[in-house]
Amino acid sequence: MNRFLSPVIAIAVGLLVLLGYFLPNNALLAGLRTTFVQWAVVLAAVALLVGVFNLLSVHIKKISAKEKGRFYSLLLVISLLITFFMGIFLGTDSAAMQTLFDSVILPVESSLLAIMVVTLIYAAIRLLRHRNDLMAFVFLGTVLIIMFAAAPLPFLQSPGLDEEIRPFIASIFSVFSSSGARGILIGVALGSLLTGLRVLIGADRPYGGK
Amino acid sequence: MELISGVFAFLFTVAVLSYLFGDNFFFRAAVYIFIGASAGYVAALLLGQVFWSQLIVPALSGSIEGIILMVLALLLFAKAFPPLSKLGTPSLALMVGVGAAIAIGGAVTGTLFPQVEASINAFDGISLFKDLGKVFEASLMLFVTISTLVYFQFSAKRDDGGKKQRNRVTRSLAFFGKIFIAITFGVLFAGVFSAALTAFIGRIDFLIKFIGSFL
Repeated sequence: MNRFLSPVIAIAVGLLVLLGYFLPNNALLAGLRTTFVQWAVVLAAVALLVGVFNLLSVHIKKISAKEKGRFYSLLLVISLLITFFMGIFLGTDSAAMQTLFDSVILPVESSLLAIMVVTLIYAAIRLLRHRNDLMAFVFLGTVLIIMFAAAPLPFLQSPGLDEEIRPFIASIFSVFSSSGARGILIGVALGSLLTGLRVLIGADRPYGGK
Repeated sequence: MELISGVFAFLFTVAVLSYLFGDNFFFRAAVYIFIGASAGYVAALLLGQVFWSQLIVPALSGSIEGIILMVLALLLFAKAFPPLSKLGTPSLALMVGVGAAIAIGGAVTGTLFPQVEASINAFDGISLFKDLGKVFEASLMLFVTISTLVYFQFSAKRDDGGKKQRNRVTRSLAFFGKIFIAITFGVLFAGVFSAALTAFIGRIDFLIKFIGSFL
C-alpha cells in the first residue's frame, strides 16, 4: 500500500504546490499551496521533535546497556531534561531560560566557533601537505592576500597602503569572488531544480518508497 | 544569579578551549551538555509554540484540516518506533513533495532569474566606447561566471581510444573555472577565518575580563 500511496502523495502534493507557486492568481491553487506548505512546516517541527525523542532514547539505551562513554550520555540526558522541563514550566522566554542560554548555550557555541581558528589553520597546512597542486596554491594565496587586504595591520600603517593598495586588492578579488559565487549559485540552483524535478516525476523517492 | 551564570560561562569556555591541547574529558562533557541543553530548548519551544497551538488546538476544535494534520503528525511519530516506522512514510512523502516544489520554485525565481539578471545588468547603461573600463569589468564577470559553470559540466564524448574527453573549448573554460572557484573558496575561507578569529578574540577577552573582575 505504502509503495503506491507515498509516491502518489509526494507527486500530487508537489505538483499542486508548484502550480500554486507559478499561478498565484488561481485562488484554489494558491489556497492549496498555502495549506500544504503550512502542513509541511508543522510536520517538519514534529519531525524535529521525533529527532529529539530519538536522541534521548539512544542515549538512555547507551546508559542502560552500560556502554563506553555512558557518562557523557548521562550528562546529555540530564541537561536535555532540565532544559526541556524548564522551558515547559517556566516558558522558553523566561528569565531562567535566558540565564541558561547565557551560561551554557552561548559560551559553548561561540567557543566552538573560536576553536575553528586552529582547525582552519590546521586544514590549510594539511591541504598543502596532501594536495600540492595549482588549485591549492591559488586557494591559499587568495586567503593570504584577502587577509592582508582586509585585516587590521597596526604594525604596518601607511596612507598609501591603507587608502589605495589594500582597497584596490580587495576590489579586484571581489570581482572574481562575486562572479565565481554567482556561477556556483547558478550551478547549485540547476542541481536543486533537477533534484526537485526527479522527486516530482517519481524517479527519486527519498521518503522510502521503492 | 549573574555571578553564577558568569562562572558557568567561564567554565564552559575554558572546557571548550581546552580542545586546543587535544581531545579531553572537559571538552566532551561541555559539548554533550551543550547538545542536551540545545535539544531540550528546541523541544520545549516546538511543544509550546507549534505542537499545542497548531496541532492540538485545531484538532480539538473539530476542524477537518486540523484532524488530518493531527493524523499525519501521529503517523510521523511512528518513525520513532522501528516496528511501526513504515506508517510514517506518507507524512514524510508529503514533506518531501512540498520541499521539492519549494526547491524548484526557489531555484527558478530566487536564484536562477536574479543571478542571470544581475549578470545582464552589469552591462546595463554602459557605452561600448566611452566606458571601456566598465565594459571590461562586466565582460570579466561574465567570463568568470560562465567558466565557473562550465567547470561543473562533467559529461564528455568518448575519443577513438574509448577515453572520455571534453572538447578543447570546454576544457580550457573549465580550467579557468577551476581557478576562479579556488579564488571564490579562498575569499569565503578568509571570511570564515575572520569570523572565527573575532569569536576567539571575544572569548579570550571574556576570560580576561572575568578573571580581572575578581582581582
